[in-house]
Amino acid sequence: MHDLSLYLLDILENSVRAGATVIATSIVVERADDALTITVEDDGPGLPVEPEQALDPFFTTKGHKKTGLGLSLFRQAAEAAGGGLEVGRSDELGGVRVSARMSIVNVDRPPLGDIAASLATMVVTNPAIEFRVRVCDGGDRVSLRGPDVARHLAEIVAFQDSLA
Amino acid sequence: MADRITSPDQLKALAAKAKADIDLREGRKETQVTVHMGTCGIAAGAREIVAAFMAELAANGVTSTSLHQSGCAGLCEEEPMATVTTADGTLYRYGLLDKDKVRTIVVNHLVGGTPVEAYLIKT
Repeated sequence: MHDLSLYLLDILENSVRAGATVIATSIVVERADDALTITVEDDGPGLPVEPEQALDPFFTTKGHKKTGLGLSLFRQAAEAAGGGLEVGRSDELGGVRVSARMSIVNVDRPPLGDIAASLATMVVTNPAIEFRVRVCDGGDRVSLRGPDVARHLAEIVAFQDSLA
Repeated sequence: MADRITSPDQLKALAAKAKADIDLREGRKETQVTVHMGTCGIAAGAREIVAAFMAELAANGVTSTSLHQSGCAGLCEEEPMATVTTADGTLYRYGLLDKDKVRTIVVNHLVGGTPVEAYLIKT
């Protein structure tokens, strides 16, 4: 994967395929702590296995495949950038929660990429799902719900340009 | 001139045929394009393919086609790929897509009604 927006797209697709009707994305920049955290939570049925098994590249929920690389690749990227990835249950929405944290300044941190394009792709192709987005960089915060996500992508573009 | 209707069963049969004809006609508005967005598809550029379909559908004034996404179709080596599902349920799987191929598919297949054989996945 070239950048973090593609990992995000992959995690969002997992939630869609799991049957979620609400999917919340949070991207938080804490410059004082040198931390970038990307979190996706959904109201789907939750993990069918223990979190550690879900991170196994040879575990997948798809019957016709033998590998499930999305989460394990994201974890690898986060760890390479001085962070890590956690998978568990979402307290807020009841489904799965995936959260990746990494160092902003780490030379191995992938660029943020086009977060707005990833979100737009999912919003356009899944009109029945409510997407929520919260991006926060210090005092700057954008919090969007449902159709607002599509209408306010420019704000997300401005956010991602500030981090690159 | 149509045959006269002489029984309730004939009327039911005629009504069923009319409904089927209407469903087929209405169904043509429900051609679906599904871009496969598993990890393999995303890594191969599926997001740009969605954007290309959005742009070409708009540029060509296509309002009879809806755009969707799904997971891996099990043909990772053919990614990025998209499946066109026509009103009668026929599936056309296109592989190794790029923006130019998407434009050709929209113009020839979704507008013109002729599948682009050269881009179809041979299985």
